[in-house]
Amino acid sequence: MSVSKANVSNMKNVFVVRRRKDKIFNVLAFCLLLVLTALVMFPIWWIFRSALMTNAELYAYPPTFLPYVWRFENFSATLEQFPFWMYLKNTFTIIAPSVFGAVITATMGGYAFARLRFRGKKFLFTLCVGSMLLPSMVTLVPLYIGWTRIANLSGTYWPLILPHFCGGGAFNIFLIRQFIMTVPRELDEAATIDGCGYFKILISIIIPAIKSAMIVVALLKFIELWNDLLQQVIYINYQKDFTIALGLSLFKGSLKSDWSKIMCATCMAFIPGVTFYIIGQKYLVEGIVMTGLKN
Amino acid sequence: MNISATTGKSKLRKAESRTAYLCLIPSILGLSIITYIPLIAVFILSFFSWKGFDTAKFVGIANYVRLFTKDPYFYDSIQATVSYAFMAVIGSMLWSLMIAMLLNRKVPARSFFRAVFYLPYVLPAMAVYLGWSWLYDYNHGFFNYIISVLGGSKVMFLDNANMIIPSLSMIAVWLSGNLIVIFIAGLQNVPRIYHEAAEIDGANGWQRFWNITLPCMTPIIFYNLLMALVTNLQVVTPALALTSGGPGNSTTFMSYLMYRYAFINNKLGYSCAISAVFFVLIGIFTGILFATSKSWIFYMGDDNE
Repeated sequence: MSVSKANVSNMKNVFVVRRRKDKIFNVLAFCLLLVLTALVMFPIWWIFRSALMTNAELYAYPPTFLPYVWRFENFSATLEQFPFWMYLKNTFTIIAPSVFGAVITATMGGYAFARLRFRGKKFLFTLCVGSMLLPSMVTLVPLYIGWTRIANLSGTYWPLILPHFCGGGAFNIFLIRQFIMTVPRELDEAATIDGCGYFKILISIIIPAIKSAMIVVALLKFIELWNDLLQQVIYINYQKDFTIALGLSLFKGSLKSDWSKIMCATCMAFIPGVTFYIIGQKYLVEGIVMTGLKN
Repeated sequence: MNISATTGKSKLRKAESRTAYLCLIPSILGLSIITYIPLIAVFILSFFSWKGFDTAKFVGIANYVRLFTKDPYFYDSIQATVSYAFMAVIGSMLWSLMIAMLLNRKVPARSFFRAVFYLPYVLPAMAVYLGWSWLYDYNHGFFNYIISVLGGSKVMFLDNANMIIPSLSMIAVWLSGNLIVIFIAGLQNVPRIYHEAAEIDGANGWQRFWNITLPCMTPIIFYNLLMALVTNLQVVTPALALTSGGPGNSTTFMSYLMYRYAFINNKLGYSCAISAVFFVLIGIFTGILFATSKSWIFYMGDDNE
C-alpha cells in the first residue's frame, strides 16, 4: 500500500518536473525558430531591398540592409524593358488549363480507384503507383518526338498543357483516392437507393466532400508548373510566347549585371506564386499531411 | 424473382465497371502514352543514330560504347549528379527534420512559422536561382560581405568548380519546405503514450528521441528520403537557369547532358542512351534504399492498412 502511494507521488513529481522542463524547452525552441525564420526570409528580403536601390547604392561598401530611399519607380522602369504582363499572360495561358485538366481527370481517376469495382483494378493501380517512382526526366526525348513529330504540335502550348489532362500525375490520383476513402460509404449507398448512378454520386456526393483535396491538387499542380523551366525551354521557341521563367532568363542574359533591374524582375516573378500560396496555404498543408501519412 | 434479382445485380456491376473505365480513360492514356510507352521507346531509340531530320539508322550498341569509352562529359556528369544529390538530400533531410522537431513543440505562432519555411518552395525556380546568384556574387554579394566582415578571404561561390555543388545544395536545402510539412505530420503521429511511459522509466529527452521518436518516424523518413533522392538525382534547373553546366563540367548533370545532346546537338538517339543509363542508375539507388529499408524501418504493428 505505502509502496504504491510512493509510486504515485513519484509519478506526479516526474510530470511536474517534466512540465517545467517542457516550458523552458518551448521558449528555447521559439527563440531558435525566430532566428531560423530570419535566416530563411533573409534572401527574399535582400532581393527585395536590392530591387529598390540604384546600382551605385548596390555596389557601395558596406552594403546597407535598408534602402536609403525606397525607389519603387525602379519597378516601372524595369517594366519598360521587361514585358512582365505579356509573360504573365502566357504563363497563365499554360497553367490555367493544365491545372483545370489535372484536377478534373485526377478526381475521376481517384474516384474509380477508391470506390468502383472493375476488372484489372489491381493491375492498373500498381502501374499508377509504380509510375510515381519513375523519373520523368528519362522520357524527355521520346515525348518530344511524340509531340513535335507524331502529333505535329511544335510551336504551340499544347505539349505543355495536354499531359496534365491525362490523370494529372499518379501522385494526384493517389491523393484524391486517399481523400475519397475517408468519405463514409453510407452516403453512396443512400444515394444508390435513391436511384443515383455512379456519375451522379461522383458529382453530387463525392466532389462536394473532397473539395479541399481538389484545391490541394490544384495548388500542387500550380507550384509544379510554376517551378518548371525545362519543359518550357524545350517547347517554347519565340519570345512572344515566353513565360515568366523564360523571360527572366532572357532578361538576365541581356542585362548581365544591372542587378537592380534584375532584382526588380525577380521580385515581380515572386508575386503571383506567393499570392496563391497565401490564399491556399491552409488546404495545402492539410493535403500534404494526408498523403504523407498514408504512404 | 431470384433470377431477375441477379441479372439486376449484374447489370449494376456492368454499369459500375463501365463508369470506372470511363473515369479512367484520361489516366490510362497518361500511363500509356505519357509514361510507359515513352519509357520503352527510350530503350529502343538508344540503339539508333538519329538527328531528328534524317532517317534513323540502327547502330546496335555503338551509342553505349561511345558513351562509356569516348564521351568527354559522361563520367563528369555522373559525378556531378551523384554528389549534388547526396549533398542536397542529406542537407535538406537534416534541416527539415530539425525544423519539424522544433515546430512539433507547443510554441506560439506555429502555423506562421510553418508557412515561412514552406514559402521558398512556391517561388519560381528561375527567379530563385537569379536571386541567389546575386547573394553569391563575388564582388558585391551578401555572403562575401559577411565573410569579409568576419575577416575571411572572398569565396567564388559560383565560379569555382569545388564550391558550386555545395552552393547549389544550400539553395536546395532552402527550398525543402515540403519535406518539413510531411515530417511534422509524421511527428504528430508518434503516440504520446510511448513518451509518457518512457519518462516514468526515467528516460531523458535525448534517449526518448533516439529510442521512440526516431524509430516511429522511420517510415516517414524513408518516404521523404526516397522522394528527395529521386527528385534530386533528376536535377536540371540550376544548370539551365544559372550555370550552363559550368564551371568546367562541375554542374553538367546527367539530365542537363541529355538535354544538351538532344536539343542543342540534335543527337536524339545518343541522348536516349544516356537516359537509359540514367534510368538504370536511379533504379540502382532506389533499389539499394528499398533493400536496406527492411533492416531499419520500424512499423508500429496495426498502423498499416
